[in-house]
This record gives sequence, C-alpha cells and structure tokens, in this order.
Amino acid sequence: MSETHLVIAALIVGTLTVRLAGAALGQKLPSRGGWARALNALPGCLILSLVIVMLTNGGPKEWLAAALALATAVITKSLPATMAVGVVAIALLRNFA
Amino acid sequence: MTVQEETTFVTSEPRAEALKGARDIAPLALGVSVYGLAFGLLAAQAGMNSLEVGLMSSLVFAGSSQIIAVERLMAGAGAVAAIVAGLALNLRLVLVTASIRDIYANRPLWQTVLGAHLTTDENWALMLARRAREGEGGYWYLLGAGLVLMAVWCGSTVLGVVFAAAIPEPRALGMDFAFTAAFIAISRALWRGRADLGPWLTAAALVIGGVASGLVDSSWAIILGGLGGALYAGLARPNGNQ
Repeated sequence: MSETHLVIAALIVGTLTVRLAGAALGQKLPSRGGWARALNALPGCLILSLVIVMLTNGGPKEWLAAALALATAVITKSLPATMAVGVVAIALLRNFA
Repeated sequence: MTVQEETTFVTSEPRAEALKGARDIAPLALGVSVYGLAFGLLAAQAGMNSLEVGLMSSLVFAGSSQIIAVERLMAGAGAVAAIVAGLALNLRLVLVTASIRDIYANRPLWQTVLGAHLTTDENWALMLARRAREGEGGYWYLLGAGLVLMAVWCGSTVLGVVFAAAIPEPRALGMDFAFTAAFIAISRALWRGRADLGPWLTAAALVIGGVASGLVDSSWAIILGGLGGALYAGLARPNGNQ
C-alpha cells in the first residue's frame, strides 16, 4: 500500500467514524435542561467560530468585504445576494484597492 | 422570554424536501465546484490519478481535510502527519452531527449512516438557516442538498485532475470568500435574539484569543469556540434574563 493509499483509507474510516460518533453522541445526551440548551446553541456558536477563523486568516480587505456581506445579510436575508456581494467586494478590493 | 428546550420541526414529503434541498444548495455548490477544481489540480501535482481522487472525494467527502492531507503529503510530512492534520480538521464534525441529532433519531441504520456521511458544513448550515427562517427542514432536505454537493465535489475534483493545467486559482477570482460570505448570511439567520449574546460572545472571544495568542491552531479554535459558547448556554439560567 502506497503512502497516498494509506492516507486515503485512514481518512475514509476516520471521517465516517467522526460523523457517526456525533450522531450517536447526540442521541445519548438528555433532551431537556442544560444539555439541550447547550446543543441548541451549538450550531450558531460553531458557525460563528468558523467565520471568525476565516476572517483572522485575512486582513482589512477581508474585514471590509465581510462587513458589506453582513449588511447585505441583515437587509436582504438572502444567501445568494450575500455571497454575490462578498465575492464581488473582495475581488474589487484585492484588484483595485 | 423563555428559551425553548426542545423544538420539533415539521417535515413535509421526503421527495419534495430533497428536491428543495437540492435547489437551495445551488449557490454553495457553485463555490464548492471551484474548490473541487483546485483540489483536483493539487492532487494531480501530488501524483494522484482521477480514480484515486474520485474515490477519496466520494468516500471521505470532507473538502478541507482532503486539501490539507494532500498538501502535507506533497510537503513530505509523511502519511501519519497527513492523516493527523486531516482528521484534526474533521473533529468539528462530531459537534456538527451531534447538533442535529433529531434528524438521525428513529431511522434505519443505513439512513443514519448515509445521512451522517452526507453531512457537511454547507448543507448542515443551510438546513439550520431554513429551520430558523421557516420552521421546516430535516433529514430529506439535508440529504437532497448533500447529494448535489457530493455530485459537484466528485465531478469537479476529477475534472481538476484531468484539466489540471487550465485551472484558475480560486483566490484570484475572489471565490475563497464565497464561503465566508455564505457563513455570514447563515450566522445572521441563526441569530435567535438576546439569549444568544452570551454564548456568541464567549465563542468569539475564545476563537480570537486562541488564534491571536498562538495557543491553538485554526481547527482547534473552531472546536474551542463552539464548545465554549455551547457550555455558556448550558450553564446560563434558562429564563433568558441572565
């Protein structure tokens, strides 16, 4: 087995295990009280963390484009519109600013 | 205001739900296709053929971990380092699938396995945004969106291997920002009001503190932020006036 095949096989087994472990863990946790509140708050906190990590990898241009995208999201509540504004803004900022 | 402890979501007919998911994921799938081409190019440079790339994309089905593992291999870090980097990036998927536990409950094993395998950041977040807005969305919506992502990811990664030379770099087109913008829109949709302020500030502080101090890398910072915010929500008083 080559190094590449070993990596592919390990990632296949490992990634499916991780996904199933989460689904199984979710079934085991109580559906009332603090555990339920924590699990309900988890998606928003996780997506926010993802956005912040993406922004810490960028600089002022990315932050400005993110602010424009956020304004679009608040006003239009539209996913495609927010994505379009974000991509156009960052392309213009990187090429002309 | 009371914080709901358990919410039930209406789900319509499976076929209609899956088709709706497949349609709604289109703008995100476009972004995925650009990354797929870029990953195919990288994999070709690492000496992988289109069969290996197609198998990896369909069976691992986690883009950023595939990219980092192949990048580590090319850097000569060795198989173990490549596997650890790829799996560390995927650990957050434990939290992703745990957070939508209701959709896997009371299903045949094959549906749970298929649904879990097809759960990615993109369709998970899209489903949550739809729930927040319309109070609908469940297993079949996630599955329909996931199947489109799978087709687009496999197709574009294999095309990337085949047409390696002709592929533009995603960053040059601003496409790297497509996902940042998409997750900003989805965060906005997930904001449930003042009760979220504490958990969200906790998550933000942990991520910024973790990354800025250099104590954790990006993939651990995401997990730390998600867990910290959820912990705050779990420990806070449930009547919302903390």
